[in-house]
Amino acid sequence: MLKFIIRRILYAIITLFLIITATFFLIAGAPGDPIAAKVGQMPEQAQEVIRAKYGLDKPVTQRYVLYMKNLLTTGDFGESIIYTGKSANDIIKDNAMISAKIGIIALALQITIGVFLGLVSALNREKIGDHIIRVCVVLAICVPSFVFAALLQYFVAFKWKLAPVFGWGELKHYALPVMAYAIGGIASYTKYMRSSTLSVIGEDYIVTAKSKGCKKSRIVRKHILRNSMIPIVTMIGPAVAGIFAGSFILEKMFSIPGLGAYYVKAVSDNDYTMIIGLTIFFAMLYVASLIVVDILYGVVDPRIRIAKSEK
Amino acid sequence: MNSNTGICEDNVILTDDMFERIGTKGLSSEQINKKSLTYWGDVWRRFKKNKLALVGLVLLVVVILTIYLGPLVSGKNYQFMDSTAKDLKPNSEFWFGTDEMGRDIFTRVCVGGRISIIIGLCCTLVMFTIGSLLGAIAGLKGGLIDNLIMRICEFVGNLPYLIIVVILSMVMGRSIFSLVFAMSLTSWVGTTRMVRGQILQIKEQDYVQAAVALGANTKRIIMKHLLPNTLGIIMVTITMSVPGFIFSEAFLSYIGLGVRPPETSWGALASAGQQRLMFYPHELFFPCLMIVATILAFHLIGDGLSDALDPKLRK
Amino acid sequence: MQNNDTLIQVKNLKKYFKVGRNETLKAVDGVSFNIYKGETLGLVGESGCGKTTCGKTVIGLYDATDGNVIFDGVDINNLNPKEKKEFTKRAQIIFQDPYSSLNPRMTVGDIIGEGIDIHNLYKGKERQSKIYELLETVGLNMEHISRFPHEFSGGQRQRIGIARALAIEPDFIVCDEPISALDVSIQAQIVNLLIELQKKKNLTYLFIAHDLSMIKHISDRVGVMYLGSLVEFTRSDEMYKNPLHPYTKALLSAIPIPDPNVERIKKRIPIEGEIPSPINPKPGCRFASRCKLAKEICLKVMPPLVEVCNEHFVACHRVKNS
Repeated sequence: MLKFIIRRILYAIITLFLIITATFFLIAGAPGDPIAAKVGQMPEQAQEVIRAKYGLDKPVTQRYVLYMKNLLTTGDFGESIIYTGKSANDIIKDNAMISAKIGIIALALQITIGVFLGLVSALNREKIGDHIIRVCVVLAICVPSFVFAALLQYFVAFKWKLAPVFGWGELKHYALPVMAYAIGGIASYTKYMRSSTLSVIGEDYIVTAKSKGCKKSRIVRKHILRNSMIPIVTMIGPAVAGIFAGSFILEKMFSIPGLGAYYVKAVSDNDYTMIIGLTIFFAMLYVASLIVVDILYGVVDPRIRIAKSEK
Repeated sequence: MNSNTGICEDNVILTDDMFERIGTKGLSSEQINKKSLTYWGDVWRRFKKNKLALVGLVLLVVVILTIYLGPLVSGKNYQFMDSTAKDLKPNSEFWFGTDEMGRDIFTRVCVGGRISIIIGLCCTLVMFTIGSLLGAIAGLKGGLIDNLIMRICEFVGNLPYLIIVVILSMVMGRSIFSLVFAMSLTSWVGTTRMVRGQILQIKEQDYVQAAVALGANTKRIIMKHLLPNTLGIIMVTITMSVPGFIFSEAFLSYIGLGVRPPETSWGALASAGQQRLMFYPHELFFPCLMIVATILAFHLIGDGLSDALDPKLRK
Repeated sequence: MQNNDTLIQVKNLKKYFKVGRNETLKAVDGVSFNIYKGETLGLVGESGCGKTTCGKTVIGLYDATDGNVIFDGVDINNLNPKEKKEFTKRAQIIFQDPYSSLNPRMTVGDIIGEGIDIHNLYKGKERQSKIYELLETVGLNMEHISRFPHEFSGGQRQRIGIARALAIEPDFIVCDEPISALDVSIQAQIVNLLIELQKKKNLTYLFIAHDLSMIKHISDRVGVMYLGSLVEFTRSDEMYKNPLHPYTKALLSAIPIPDPNVERIKKRIPIEGEIPSPINPKPGCRFASRCKLAKEICLKVMPPLVEVCNEHFVACHRVKNS
């Protein structure tokens, strides 16, 4: 197991290094001048000073070496071009928690509601409740989150005035973005939970439990839930890794000052220190969460644990 | 075969005349009464039974007919701006209303839909081609090549998909080509793994060994045995991945990395409509309706197909 | 039936599979025997003893790790593709599992005709009538030609598998437990079909099974395998009358006798423990760990297969002395 973790981490480091390098050179070669908007009408000399400040007067390779040195020794992502005086680190520090909060609340809702609905749907197979849940699931999977967000904004906030349309700071601001975020996930967890529960229900050990007079609630808790949750756990991994990615559009739509919104803005502004910095940050989170999830699989599923130790 | 079991005793002598050949007499009366169907005929029969899947198929046909024939019927140009008809609600002249520049939204939704669907199909095609090729090579060759391909998959699979897409489409400029390239770059990993798994599984089946024993060459084994038996599951993946790409395209257009104006797509239209949602909700509603209808259609078809192909459900 | 013309000579055949970095699964470990023209050679043993691997290596489905398989004077391990194809025309196999051995996407006609197509034996009308003939030979209907495998029962499928093997008119067929996946009532049909075909077409069989009574019924000579090697090899009547190896004795004593008086007094020789893993086996006799008669030498030296009396070969240190 330890060998497996070390191998995994080694891969992750190589992956990260390649991502940083590729991002750096790709962005350097991208069309558009990152400084142009900022310097605009300034005199030639002032432009040169600013270019020198960001190291843009040096060749790309030299800049890369310098950047990597800074990153590895001090963990510095560099200063934003648009927000003068603020480094990408500051922005991550100030805003990452906002994105994380929404993402984690939404994920928790997705899993609990999804598992519950999936279980209910499977246990009432081919009854009216099952049909209603399944129709809702199909519809919800087909609606992109931004469409759902727009619908919420229009009806819940604008027409019925139940929640603020956008803004950030108070508890009530969470309601709509979290809902918009969670709905798609709820639908897919419900779908997978339903099919996994159905396959478990057909197993002989459930029939055995029934025939020995086990109470229904106990069968559901001890036998069905435990086994049907395994595929759900394997789905949580990529979901955790994707917490930040999912926030890109919604943060922009609801004017939430999260990292996703900053990233989108950096992309449209050509603010390249920000892009590289945030990319590295996202990539680190993503790769790290994949490792954690891989290790967790082994802990959750006894079959995997045995297979590993037998090797 | 009772007489066989006395063999341990020396005093029982088995002679040939103690055995009677049953032979194959009377066996030819075994008849199968069901109508004979080809494999795909059987799949189609089960697919047809699934009402929802048929609804999906009809829905998809309607969407495709609309986006290709719609502009002919409405007789409008998707780029034409009518300054006297800005932000109109849907009416008999403009079926889906007009946008802030007085352009006919119905025609724009049709033209944008072509691009969205083409992007979805192109990405799927690229994903399928690269994925199944690499997966087949890995599964068939095994050994070092398999190892190498799986390592590459592991690496690409660990890349944060969305960020790669954002950066690539930023670097390569905004065009359909760069969109397709960026979106399919990381997407083939799943297909590769799936095809490899399928091939490894089928390769061990006795009927492939039987073909080898009959002297079949690799080409014949691929064309006659491996390909027909993986096609079903590949088709399900394809129908299920088209909506994913339409989603991604909408997403990229939404954050300003989609197709470049004056070209348009469903994502771009939705993005534009969203900013004017409070006062002109129809500008968001119609592009979204089309996206949802298309994705719904693909999902229903995919679900129906995978049910129809599921051997457990076959009777 | 026996004219003592050797068709196949298997010499010190070995087939190893690498399963881990330092682990080798020795599925077949130094097996030697001859198969005469027109005879049926039975191969018995517990599951996992390597008999299927042995059969598949003999017809070249697996490349041998070491040793030779000489078919009609030619070593099949050193063939160029063309010679290899020639060889496949003469040696065929019938598989154990009638469900996985037929491609679900092909019609019965195409399955049976595959060998004909590969070797370009017949075309068009001739191919059609040849397939009809084969269907009839194995007791199926002409109209079954356009059906798909999933429409048939297990026994019918096995007959399709036999027709496929017969299509290219081979001399030699490996029957890899062709009946063990079938209902007992169907088993007799298939065995009788195989015997009938052998008589009619002068076929040579390597018949693999774990059912000793069936082997006795069908084969002329029998080899008993244990963990990758032959422990006893002789004519089948001799084997049943005078088993020498303790493993063979134990196996034979397990056959029930349909006479309660005999069955009551019959002494069963139980074998204790599980079959050991064929991965990195210990030196010495493979059976030593479960053998009641095992002595020190059995744990150290692997006994060679030696002829103790006329055409009766045994690999056991304890047999010579007793």
